[in-house]
Amino acid sequence: MTDTQQPLLRVRDLVVNFGKGRHTVSAVAGVTFDIFEGETLGLVGESGCGKSTTGKALMRIIEPTSGTVELDNVDITALKKRTLRGARTRMQMIFQDPISSLNPRRRVKDIVAEPLDCWFRHADNRDAVVSDLLNKVGIDPSVYGNRYPRQFSGGQCQRISIARSLAMRPKMLICDEMVSALDVSVQAQILNLLEDLKAQYGLTLLFIAHDLAVVKNVSDRVAVMYLGKICELGPSDVLYDSPAHPYTKFLLGAALEADPDSPIHGDVLQGEPPSPMNPPSGCRFRTRCPNATEKCAAEEPLAREIAPGHQVSCHYPLAITRK
Amino acid sequence: MSDLQDEAPLVEKSEKREPMGVLFWVCVGWIVLNVFGAIFANVLPLQNPLYQNYALVNAGPSLHHLLGTDDLGRDIFTRIVYGSRVSISVGVGAMIIGFGIGAPLGMLAAYRRGRFDAILTTVMYVLLAFPAIIATIAVLSFWTPRSLYKIIVVIGIASIPLVYRVIRTATMAVATKDYVTAAKVQGATDRRILVKELLPNIAPIGISFLLIGVATVIILEGALAFLGLSVNPPTPSWGNMINESRTVLAQNPWLALFPSLAICLFLLGLNFMGDRLRSHYDVTEVKL
Amino acid sequence: MSTEPEKLLVVEDLTTTFATPGGPLPAVGGISFNINKNETLGIVGESGSGKTVLSRTIMGLQPRTNVTVTGSVLLNGHQIVGASENEKRKYWGIDVAMVFQDPMTSLNPVMRIGKQIDESLRVRLGMSREAAKARAIELLELVGIPSPERRYSAYPGQLSGGMRQRVVIAIALACSPKLLMADEPTTGLDVTIQAQILNLIDELKERLHMSVILVTHDLGVVATRTSRIIVMYAGRIVEIGDTREVFTNHRMPYTRALLESSPKVTNPSHTRLIAIPGRPPNLMKLSAGCSFAPRCAYATERCHQERPELQSSGAPGHFFACWNPLPASQGAPTS
Repeated sequence: MTDTQQPLLRVRDLVVNFGKGRHTVSAVAGVTFDIFEGETLGLVGESGCGKSTTGKALMRIIEPTSGTVELDNVDITALKKRTLRGARTRMQMIFQDPISSLNPRRRVKDIVAEPLDCWFRHADNRDAVVSDLLNKVGIDPSVYGNRYPRQFSGGQCQRISIARSLAMRPKMLICDEMVSALDVSVQAQILNLLEDLKAQYGLTLLFIAHDLAVVKNVSDRVAVMYLGKICELGPSDVLYDSPAHPYTKFLLGAALEADPDSPIHGDVLQGEPPSPMNPPSGCRFRTRCPNATEKCAAEEPLAREIAPGHQVSCHYPLAITRK
Repeated sequence: MSDLQDEAPLVEKSEKREPMGVLFWVCVGWIVLNVFGAIFANVLPLQNPLYQNYALVNAGPSLHHLLGTDDLGRDIFTRIVYGSRVSISVGVGAMIIGFGIGAPLGMLAAYRRGRFDAILTTVMYVLLAFPAIIATIAVLSFWTPRSLYKIIVVIGIASIPLVYRVIRTATMAVATKDYVTAAKVQGATDRRILVKELLPNIAPIGISFLLIGVATVIILEGALAFLGLSVNPPTPSWGNMINESRTVLAQNPWLALFPSLAICLFLLGLNFMGDRLRSHYDVTEVKL
Repeated sequence: MSTEPEKLLVVEDLTTTFATPGGPLPAVGGISFNINKNETLGIVGESGSGKTVLSRTIMGLQPRTNVTVTGSVLLNGHQIVGASENEKRKYWGIDVAMVFQDPMTSLNPVMRIGKQIDESLRVRLGMSREAAKARAIELLELVGIPSPERRYSAYPGQLSGGMRQRVVIAIALACSPKLLMADEPTTGLDVTIQAQILNLIDELKERLHMSVILVTHDLGVVATRTSRIIVMYAGRIVEIGDTREVFTNHRMPYTRALLESSPKVTNPSHTRLIAIPGRPPNLMKLSAGCSFAPRCAYATERCHQERPELQSSGAPGHFFACWNPLPASQGAPTS
């Protein structure tokens, strides 16, 4: 994470607007971050903060309104439809709903082979490649390759999704809430599998989730989003130990620990996020922030570095307590 | 991977689907029998449908005339079998036109969305707002001489908006699924997505609507024939025969009863088949 | 628990079996427990553990066909198993009320929220229109809805998810029930809203002297907000006891596995999770032995052959069902 290292993915001022004219909603309102090769960036936030939209805009599943997304110095936002098709194979996505991610009328081995078939790769040893992928995700191809998705549990469907996404050997994987539909015991299996495959395939991950504990578990760095903007970004252990943005602190405070001795936090964040159709002026969090002043309403806080690799968008960041 | 303790892929939901049931196969048998009769009517050992036996008019069912004879002494059974040719070919032909044009347009519109969809859907809804049966009657009354082909074409075109609407709605439900997005992201071409991802998932709805559509068109043909707007007599069609029976209803109720029964049973078979197929292939329906 | 506390709910040997085309499905297989007055009990389990079926059976909310319920559920003296619809109506809302998981579907989208609260007040308590309205606004205020007079005439669609769940709670509280059954009340909500709702339920329980059953899959939800918890697996109780006792001194390997497999905010990133191998069993094909045995690291021949019954751990009120329990001192979670 030194400055000299080239980021694999470079996102600058990404904006996604929905609707037109007076009804415009800025789901993503200017997001900037880098992801370096081999690292996992976690993206957390509550529903409606724009984290999923960000992930989809990176893949141009949703067209970004403005901003650039560079993967390996290729600006994805500038590509024509035909070249985009090829560029997308280098970046893949895993979705939240394991059942909806797989076509119920196709056999598992055909689902996994789909990317290969689209690109006419491995036409001669397609079955061998597919078997290898299925083995990698822990599904026996000889027994289960010919089955249909409905015969599998959520966790197994998510494994099949992972196998499919790896077929074209992408460099980057975007995981959009990929374990939030799973039971804890299965969730742990999938998270462990993801870590293994990341090492094996040299993957770079963008891990989008609402669950703070899950995000911390897989991420090297974490970005916290609120109402379409990143409010804090930093190395995960630092960010969780000493959050600098008040919102991050509240978010962490609200996370429930499976420990009867953990204190019930008295300072629960009050109210609910304002509508993205009509965001507050200045700092977007100021309406719920106990530390907000007039400056917060007048002036939008820009991201600034308060420690190496630790950025925060707040006029009054909380003091960082070093361990 | 050593400690990747797999969520033991234990597939317990059985691969076998529940059987279709006897009634379904009875319906299939009946429809097949009807279609077989329609196709091979000239080869089958039937009487001449146009032969008039004035010695035996308005006769009830007998061994020689299984379903009796009409007011001109023609064999009703033979005429029903020949009549099914008109009814079934109008039904199937019109649906081929309707699906041939309406289904691809509906799929494309639902998949593409945007302006293409907006314009096409508006056009189709305007067409739907137009009373189709009146339009059909109007066109057929002026487009003479009437022939089977003209009837098929007119009804076929009238059915396009209906097919379009059903297929578009069905496709939209599927097109928002993540696996369609996933296919797009993997680089599948639009055509590939339409054929491999969307088509198999809307096919069950399509097929059941097709069967019900055939049934509806057969009723429409009957209505047109009743108004004298179908094929010209003496060619028999189920609707024609019911129309002809009007004048002699008191003397010969058989003449009205049997063609009506033929329509009724055929439609019942089609509708039941369509419904059963839809529920059978509906993967989302929870079977608990 | 030296002096016997007053019991509000006594469940004895309750079973719920669904008749399916594939054979009987025992969703709840022989459960006994009780709840004291003014107590919060947590029921924890993964999907398919039977926790939701259990809560619905206690409510008397199962479909009339294809389901067999045996055993006994005594709620404030009423027998719920086998009660007729009319009898159920007498205790629904008054003795027990339910908060459902999805505030989206548990509210009528085309009815003003005030009306939805009014309804039970007027029908059940025979209140006048004015009195019911005043009480409804009071209830909305009680569950922390800002400007309740204005919200009274709002439609559910105009409220956020958290606000809707508050309305659902207000409806449940309308007739001051003695027991509040909350089935995954915060599952679809954001963490900050989840904390608000859980605090609200806690607060209301104290103020209104209710008992609460908190059904959830999330151990974090029950850890600090319940006095006792039940851990369910494959339709049975595998461990029950004081919350602290179960968290720190659990004896059943499944409880430990459940605790260890969930990631923790306090652990450094990239901590390897201890996953439970396999997946929950098919309830139609349960073996004669312990249902967890196929996934259990400590399973022996006996576990596969013979089902363990609940046995006391020695600590008061703490029971577990296991042939090879974890040693009493080593149960503490690794974190």
